[in-house]
Amino acid sequence: MKSKSDEELIELIVQNHRPALEELYDRYVKLIYSFSIKITKGDTEKTKEIVQQVFLRLWTTKRTYNASQGQFVNWLLTITRNISIDLIRKEQKYKGTVQLELEEWQQMQGLQSEDVEQQVTRNLLKQQIQEAKRQLSEPQQRLINLLYWEGYSLSEIAELEQKPLGTIKSRLHQALKKLRNNFNGKIGGVRHGE
Amino acid sequence: MENKCDNLSLFIINELTNQDKKQFEDHLLKCAKCQQELKSIQETWQMLSYDVEETEVPESLKSQVMDFVFEENKFLKHEEKKEAEPMSFKERILSVAKKHFSPISTAVTAILIICLIGFYWNSLHLKDTIKALENNAADPTQIVTTYSLTGESFAASATGSAYLLQEGTETNLVIALNNMPITKGNEVYQVWLLKNGNRQSAGTLIPDQNGSGLITYRLPPEYSFEDIGITLEPNPFNTQPQGQKVLGT
Repeated sequence: MKSKSDEELIELIVQNHRPALEELYDRYVKLIYSFSIKITKGDTEKTKEIVQQVFLRLWTTKRTYNASQGQFVNWLLTITRNISIDLIRKEQKYKGTVQLELEEWQQMQGLQSEDVEQQVTRNLLKQQIQEAKRQLSEPQQRLINLLYWEGYSLSEIAELEQKPLGTIKSRLHQALKKLRNNFNGKIGGVRHGE
Repeated sequence: MENKCDNLSLFIINELTNQDKKQFEDHLLKCAKCQQELKSIQETWQMLSYDVEETEVPESLKSQVMDFVFEENKFLKHEEKKEAEPMSFKERILSVAKKHFSPISTAVTAILIICLIGFYWNSLHLKDTIKALENNAADPTQIVTTYSLTGESFAASATGSAYLLQEGTETNLVIALNNMPITKGNEVYQVWLLKNGNRQSAGTLIPDQNGSGLITYRLPPEYSFEDIGITLEPNPFNTQPQGQKVLGT
């Protein structure tokens, strides 16, 4: 099991091979757990619920994972985030739907497998993203946090910030571009013009 | 075109409506700039997930997750299977009942049943009443005894008749009086039933302008008397005669 790739493990899961799921658990639970505990603000009960739902999704998924569809770990984190936000929104009685599994896969399409993890450790990535975030303006940082970690929609954020939706949309665009540029700069990628 | 490029971020965070999304996907095929930006910004968006503190995972979590996944899965399969399983007799009856009785029709049925019981109850009562009436008809009032009363002293011209009427188990005494001297003030004529020298009041009467009067008295059960006496009492509600006897059997 240990020598198998993520892709091979997914194949085995589709064939209802339980040890394959356990192996994926061992590989990724720390990442999923750390992510969920942040998004639930340290609620271990909710975190457990999220981790259970993520692995249930993995076990019941009837779609074969294809490496060309993107990095498995990113796909896993996308699922985790969607399940988390679904849970948060349900509890806060927010309206709005969370993207479906099919969309998650479509989202990953066109993304070539580029194993960032092989270039830098997760910890280094974390430091870099934090550094990149620090260079955003205060409203941009707030926007990213509300959107990514709190699960608010753009129109909800526009309401919270008392700004037109258009302003929030362009603020998002600027924030993502700036993050990307800062990030690329750090890891020595090509600096894109603003 | 510029407008559509602005939707890139919204596409990445999946906040486009289905229609806008489709339009953007079409645009993406034609716009080199967006194609170039898509990958790097999408990666940046996904990098945000690495902004977490590594947290130790509780040891017990693995079994909780695995139990959940495989129990839940079993449950899901069981649910599917259960639907196919034949129902027990009781379940079938219940399901048929559920299928055929909506809450409204159940309520209507209940009301109809209550009405039916009501009608039946009513008709039973009606039957009893009719029966009682028939019995009465078959058991008419009978005159058991008649008495004639003659006047004395100042009411010597007064006459009277008394009848004992048997009506089922009840006995009524009816006394009709004529030519009675008119009473004054609080005066009343009082009827007394005599038995072994004891007197019991059987009511009072005041005759009309012509000196006529009628009084009925329901006798206590199993009661009998020997004679009837009528006195002129200075006031009503006497339990023993005070005034002068004016009529008697």
